[in-house]
Amino acid sequence: MAAVESLPPGTPSAMRNAFGTVLSALILVLIGVLAFSIRLFSVIKYESVIHEFDPYFNYRVTQFLSKNGIYEFWNWFDDRTWYPLGRVIGGTVYPGLTLTAGTIWWVLNAINIPLSVETVCVFTAPVFSAFASWATYLLTKEVKGSGAGLAAAALLAMVPSYISRSVAGSYDNEAVAIFALIFTFYLYIKTLNTGSLFYATLNAIAYFYMVCSWGGYTFIINLIPMHVLLCIVTGRYSPRLYIAYAPLVVLGTLLAALVPVVGFNAVLTSEHFASFLVFIIIHVVALVYYIKGILTPKMFKVAVTLVVSIGLVVCLIVVAVLVALVASSPTGGWSGRSLSLLDPTYASKYIPIIASVSEHQPPTWPSYFMDINVLAFLVPAGIIACFSPLSDASSFVVLYIVMSVYFSGVMVRLMLVLAPAACIMSGIALSQAFDVFTGSIKYQLSSKSKDDAEDNTSTKNAPKDDASSGKADKGEEVAKERLSKKGKKKEREPAEKPSVKSKIVKKKALVLPLEASIVALLLLIMLGAFYVIHCVWAAAEAYSAPSIVLTSQSHDGLHVFDDFRESYAWLSHNTDVDDKVASWWDYGYQTTAMANRTVIVDNNTWNNTHIATVGTAMSSPEKAAWEIFNSLDVKYVLVVFGGVIGYPSDDINKFLWMVRIGGGEFPHIKEADYLRDGQYRIDSEATPTMLNCLMYKLCYYRFVETDGKGYDRVRRTEIGKKHFKLTHFEEVFTSHHWMVRIYKLKPQKNRIRGRVKKLKQKTSSGVSSKSVKKNPWM
Amino acid sequence: MADHTTLPHRFFLSISLLSILTVSQPDLTKELVSLRSSSESGVIRLSDDTVSKFITSVSTPRPYSLIIFFNSVELNSNPLQEFRREFAFVSASFIANNNNRSDVANKVFFCEIDESSDSEAFGLFGIQFLPQICLVDPLMENLQDKTGRMEEEDVDGTAESVVEFIESRTNLTVGPLHRPPLLSKTQISVIVALIAISTPFLIKKVLKGETVLHNSRVWLFCTVLVYFFSVSGTMHNIIKGMPMFVRDHQDSNKLVFFYKGENFQLGAEGLSVGLLYNVVGLLLAYVTNALVRVRSVSGQRVFMMLAMVVSLLAVKKVVYLNSWKTGYEIQTYWPSSWH
Repeated sequence: MAAVESLPPGTPSAMRNAFGTVLSALILVLIGVLAFSIRLFSVIKYESVIHEFDPYFNYRVTQFLSKNGIYEFWNWFDDRTWYPLGRVIGGTVYPGLTLTAGTIWWVLNAINIPLSVETVCVFTAPVFSAFASWATYLLTKEVKGSGAGLAAAALLAMVPSYISRSVAGSYDNEAVAIFALIFTFYLYIKTLNTGSLFYATLNAIAYFYMVCSWGGYTFIINLIPMHVLLCIVTGRYSPRLYIAYAPLVVLGTLLAALVPVVGFNAVLTSEHFASFLVFIIIHVVALVYYIKGILTPKMFKVAVTLVVSIGLVVCLIVVAVLVALVASSPTGGWSGRSLSLLDPTYASKYIPIIASVSEHQPPTWPSYFMDINVLAFLVPAGIIACFSPLSDASSFVVLYIVMSVYFSGVMVRLMLVLAPAACIMSGIALSQAFDVFTGSIKYQLSSKSKDDAEDNTSTKNAPKDDASSGKADKGEEVAKERLSKKGKKKEREPAEKPSVKSKIVKKKALVLPLEASIVALLLLIMLGAFYVIHCVWAAAEAYSAPSIVLTSQSHDGLHVFDDFRESYAWLSHNTDVDDKVASWWDYGYQTTAMANRTVIVDNNTWNNTHIATVGTAMSSPEKAAWEIFNSLDVKYVLVVFGGVIGYPSDDINKFLWMVRIGGGEFPHIKEADYLRDGQYRIDSEATPTMLNCLMYKLCYYRFVETDGKGYDRVRRTEIGKKHFKLTHFEEVFTSHHWMVRIYKLKPQKNRIRGRVKKLKQKTSSGVSSKSVKKNPWM
Repeated sequence: MADHTTLPHRFFLSISLLSILTVSQPDLTKELVSLRSSSESGVIRLSDDTVSKFITSVSTPRPYSLIIFFNSVELNSNPLQEFRREFAFVSASFIANNNNRSDVANKVFFCEIDESSDSEAFGLFGIQFLPQICLVDPLMENLQDKTGRMEEEDVDGTAESVVEFIESRTNLTVGPLHRPPLLSKTQISVIVALIAISTPFLIKKVLKGETVLHNSRVWLFCTVLVYFFSVSGTMHNIIKGMPMFVRDHQDSNKLVFFYKGENFQLGAEGLSVGLLYNVVGLLLAYVTNALVRVRSVSGQRVFMMLAMVVSLLAVKKVVYLNSWKTGYEIQTYWPSSWH
């Protein structure tokens, strides 16, 4: 440890060090326990169940994996979804999460701990958040020492933004990906600080794990090149930088291309081009430095002109090739989600399917308060702490916070990427503040007790120097630590050492007034306490609802709405195993996982036309909708309706998006037809198109029978059309609280009769009704 | 709706009639052409007199159609003037595209009536809201007739919508729009030349390490700035086009700066909360980094007290605003015996 250097060598310091290490380890274990247990509210309050939508798909894939093995999983073609297209699961899924959970399950079973796959899936996220907080400790320790590391780890263990994605049961990619992200950054910084190829290789492997886990890996492969470029531009190039970067690009890209869902995208799409460009630049720069080393200054001046011009030409050619490649692809080689990050107004203009997802909306300021809470106050202090002094590692975390805070401003979903950065920054800020305040208090108390200080020349300044040896050098701790390690590796640049040393000599750790420090310390502790309370509240109340089971607290006790599982169970027990169920894409994953029925579209929104077809059917009148659904072999249509119990995220509220997405592909669906004076309404003022569309009819069929008036508790109004009959659909199931309604497509009686009659009139000969085909499009 | 489908027919009919009638009223068309050529981008400014001269006092069918943009300079509305510029693009493009076809170019004239100076003419049309565009076709007699108007939902302030409106109502084609490029060719070439010249110098400077980029204070400032703008939800305001503040529904003199409800925010609201977010961190950073170096103990004491009071108030204010805006009440989980 670097602290050894500033303390006199001897047993007390060694003891103190050992004690510090043990204490840190203990604190880390407790942080892990905290991270795990704060995420168990959902299990305690509800039950051990998979949450929401996407986790059900992951759970289904994990089940398949554990049952059939890895090779079957890799080649799995799923015909239960996107009927009639199907989906190649092995090639379109990020396998990191499922492989992780599958491996955990396999290991546990191998050592005779018979947990079910579901239990493993439910608890994967909490376990990995403990790992993530340990990774945060490692990363922050590399930047600003172990004090900051512990603070950052504690903050991350309970940051609400991360809790929202990793409560028990939230079995989603992000749960493991955030750990992978932080760990990759840690290994990058570690390599940068040590210049060790061993860590560089580990870094590439961690990056591989990240690529396996989450599409957000593009953040890493853009952030690290940016940092490298920043280092080069600000004159911080070193061989360590080269070792940290070049192996990552080479090995990382090769490994990333092994993941089927990425494949050749790893070299073909624009998201990765930045890394290759910087890869070239770093080689040019490395060459320049190499030549500078072997030539005399005079010769170097001649050479630099040559090298720079050649380098420029090479760069220009590469840029031209990249531009040509980008220009040749329709979206410029960028995926819609990435494009909407660069041009934030892009998605809302051109891709309704991205804009329709609430987590792709830009956040307002309360979102920051909700998701990172008081960290929002502390981050600026952390940024400034990182700048004094600016090292390679601290410049990286600064870049990380800048990028993530910008992206989080565009898409609320990316708040998740911001959360670790905010924790690291706040950890650094808190640790620095505690250092200064406790140092001031400690010093002044000790100096009061021994009034006969030896050097009383200037009562205020001299003891401060004393204090500096004790605590203030902690700020420089990392720099020193790095230097000592670099010394071992003999890679230190001669220029860097004196500058750091001179700073240490210059900096005097001065103290603050005693009482003010005490008050400030108390205020900081209060701030921390408020953070803890907020996080516990967020974990317990805001983010623990599994959304598959709903509860509501009213004066006459707790109400549980288990309609979703009730209806999926109904589907699985009462319908044929090969029946097709149509619903809006939100419920696709749940239907396949829980009811084991084939769906038309699901949450993997890969085919816009298919979704638009379903959207069009939902927005069409009954007959047209029946024809669309019939052509897709649909037997049952499932709608989610919240008007009876006041469940706001139901299909009627999502309906305008169905219209927009449908209208995007099929222009006869016009949004204006569903709006009265630009307002979306379902009461008596609603447009006839709205009142006659399938979604309205399926949701409000027999609704008036519930209360006699047809009062919708979500829209807070009486519905426009109360009494109507269905001609092409029949109701087969409505759940207890009317949340899920399932309809069956009627067989096409009317059409047959009409045709038979016509035929009879024409030929007046008996045509057997057997010749009539079931599907009109066949 | 039925009226709309017959409009092109009416137009055709009128055009065929025109061929006979133009002879009788050639001077009016000529006058319009000369007015057009003298005006900027071909949009004729109609006054009270000219409206009666070209529209009301001319017997139908008139030998021309007028497309009138209703403007109000006094309203001082930016989107309206933006739309007016778009309208001018359409006019200029139409003239440029049909330059050598006088039979087409002299059938349609782009005009403008300003409410502030020619309110009488404006009143003739019975316009209820702005922006509004009206096609006065050769057969139109009742100027209050709404069939010639652009439909409310189609008015989106773009030149494309105007083109669509004209093409759907008149069977004429406007042709490609000629927007002036953002930068003229000479400007672009000058910029390219400047970049090309400065590149070697820049590279030299970068290699020597003398640029602003090497000043960490600049980086620090930019970082804090990005952070400030992000946490104040500026991207939300840009993407959703939120104003800085709105006027109260009940009392138009009262300004509303804070919007109640989680999903929206106003510009001033975001910036002020962003400031509160930042002020605490910056004060803390100042105390821990700079104040420790100050020699006067009383100065330290006073500043620290001040900083702590400000921070406390800022945090309290944000907590209060947050619970007011979102309606969330955070439970404190004290033991139940404490209540």
